[in-house]
Amino acid sequence: MWFKKLVAVVLLSSSLAACGNESNTLKIGVGAPLTGPNAKTGQDLLNGVRLAVMEKNAQGGLHNKQVEVISGDDRSDPREGIVVANKMANSGVIGVIGHYNSGVSIPASAEVYNPMKIINISPASTNPVYTERGLKFVFRTVGRDDLQGKVAADFAIQKGWKKMAVIHNKGAYGQGLAEEFAKNVKAKGGNILIFDGINKDDKDFSPVLTKIKAMNPEILFYGGEYQDGALFTRQAKQVGITVPVMGGDALYDKDFVRLTGQEYAKGSLVTFAAGSQSSAFNKSFSEKFGEVGPFSAYAYDATHILFAAIAKAGPQATPDAIRDEVAKTKDFPGATGQIGFDAKGDLLQSGFIVWEVNASGDFIQAATIPAKTVVPAKKP
Amino acid sequence: MQMFLQQIVIGLTIGSIYSLIALGYTMVYGILELVNFAHGEIFMIGSYIGLMVLMLCFSSGLQTAVPVLLLLLLAFVVAMVVSALFGMAIERLAYRPLRQSPRLSLLITALGVSIFLQNLAMLIFGARDRPYPEKLFPNTSYHFWGVQVTLLQILIFTIALVLMFGLNLLIHKTRLGTAMRATAQDTEAAGLMGIHVNFIVLMTFAIGSALGGAAGVLYGLYYGVANFFMGFQAGLKAFTAAVLGGIGNITGAMVGGLLLGVFESLAAAYISSQWKDVITFGMLILVLVFRPQGLFGEQVPEKV
Repeated sequence: MWFKKLVAVVLLSSSLAACGNESNTLKIGVGAPLTGPNAKTGQDLLNGVRLAVMEKNAQGGLHNKQVEVISGDDRSDPREGIVVANKMANSGVIGVIGHYNSGVSIPASAEVYNPMKIINISPASTNPVYTERGLKFVFRTVGRDDLQGKVAADFAIQKGWKKMAVIHNKGAYGQGLAEEFAKNVKAKGGNILIFDGINKDDKDFSPVLTKIKAMNPEILFYGGEYQDGALFTRQAKQVGITVPVMGGDALYDKDFVRLTGQEYAKGSLVTFAAGSQSSAFNKSFSEKFGEVGPFSAYAYDATHILFAAIAKAGPQATPDAIRDEVAKTKDFPGATGQIGFDAKGDLLQSGFIVWEVNASGDFIQAATIPAKTVVPAKKP
Repeated sequence: MQMFLQQIVIGLTIGSIYSLIALGYTMVYGILELVNFAHGEIFMIGSYIGLMVLMLCFSSGLQTAVPVLLLLLLAFVVAMVVSALFGMAIERLAYRPLRQSPRLSLLITALGVSIFLQNLAMLIFGARDRPYPEKLFPNTSYHFWGVQVTLLQILIFTIALVLMFGLNLLIHKTRLGTAMRATAQDTEAAGLMGIHVNFIVLMTFAIGSALGGAAGVLYGLYYGVANFFMGFQAGLKAFTAAVLGGIGNITGAMVGGLLLGVFESLAAAYISSQWKDVITFGMLILVLVFRPQGLFGEQVPEKV
């Protein structure tokens, strides 16, 4: 009996000791889809944060504390996103890098992060709504879909395409982007033959594609993630649609080409920002984690921006003080370029480039659109 | 008209895959009155096993020496055998100990097994979508009166029909089939007549799972990907097909699957792909309101 008690005491004291140690670390959170359909992108994002944290810890951490990453799996589900956000709040993180899907970032930032004064920097959510609600603690290191949709529409119109079919996967990101694209196309005199949604859990899109084929569009725009986008593109080619499929930044992934099949993916057009500009980042990322994911560098930059703000605000800073330092970020030398935030938490400079999948399955620049200042939008 | 026929072709292809999966649901329900929610996961495992066999053949260079059809046959046989083993293991380990307990416990166990298998597959095969080998199959298509039918669609439909025909023979012409039908009618009486009920139930799971596994390979070939959560959606659709046809009825499951596939395809083409599921499930509700037992189901008095 005494032995059991002894064990209990030892266990208890060791767990208390563990608690004591924890207060010596500084916690940041990562909310991303680590399982489920977008798992690969979520892992890319988490690894970007991990790399930044490893670098910081190797330099001795922040304010003499090591940085600890708390990761939460939102499975691309808005409800799970709230659960993850609450978990983050309970574990006392200073900031959260995430989430990936706009549909998850939008509610998690409004319901949890902003009211709890947790700095939320999304390295991937492009839906305009995310930063349009006057939430003080919300930032992003990627451009917005109103610009992205416009770049895509401009490109299509410049190519002389007039008849367009637009399909989306009913997600906040996919539908939002598709609507921006359609709006800009209409404004420039283009013609939207069909605007419809598909269920992203479905695998068979050939009925609607067969219908589209009969309409003879000159371009097929897809708003959605690459997992469903790959199936969509593959089936579009299989039913005999020969015009290219065009999509947003979520299609910019090597896995899009792999899943679509090189032969079918060839000629697909994708809008994406410039991505990582830093060979040092690419090198250390690929040494540790393998292939650099499209959003890894954005997550890495977001993490370093947060670190810089924590460092500047000082060891005893309040969440508001750190938030103010993040908001003041100007000309931050990131892996994705010079980063600064405007009053809403959007990038001061952001641009999208149209990429084309070539015959060997690589993304090559189809046209460069010079980086533009984000259009100042109306107050929400 | 051309488009209508094209949509029918698409609907029949996906429908025949639904039918194959639906058979597993309906056979198990017929005997145990259990909705085996883990069946969708068996389908997923079949898809992965088929993928692994094909990948192995490709990496070992076997595909240059052996004709494609033989490779596919190998993938199907291995996937069906492994799926059958999984099905039997689930029955033996998860369902048999609970055979005498309330139906609800079995249902919850089935859900548990389903979640367990999904996560197991994620840990073994990884979380990302895995592509089926490219260029495995010639991308040939035929045109009949302007309707495009691909070789793969023909293959899927043929394999599904052959398997369903084989199942029908098995059930109606063999001793095993007779024993299965007897067990479905009355488990206790069948046992009294000298039928080894446990063995029959095990066989039912094996056959249903083998068909599910075959469907998994067909699905992978058609859509080009396998992932660990594919079983949920496909399983839900197949279960719907089984209910539509009258759950417990073999012919019902076959017809239900094909009908569901065609419904979906037509709804997406003529109304809106956004509303596809609303329309399909609306149809299901309508059918069940007027024929609660499903299209082919018989009105059986409640067992006491």
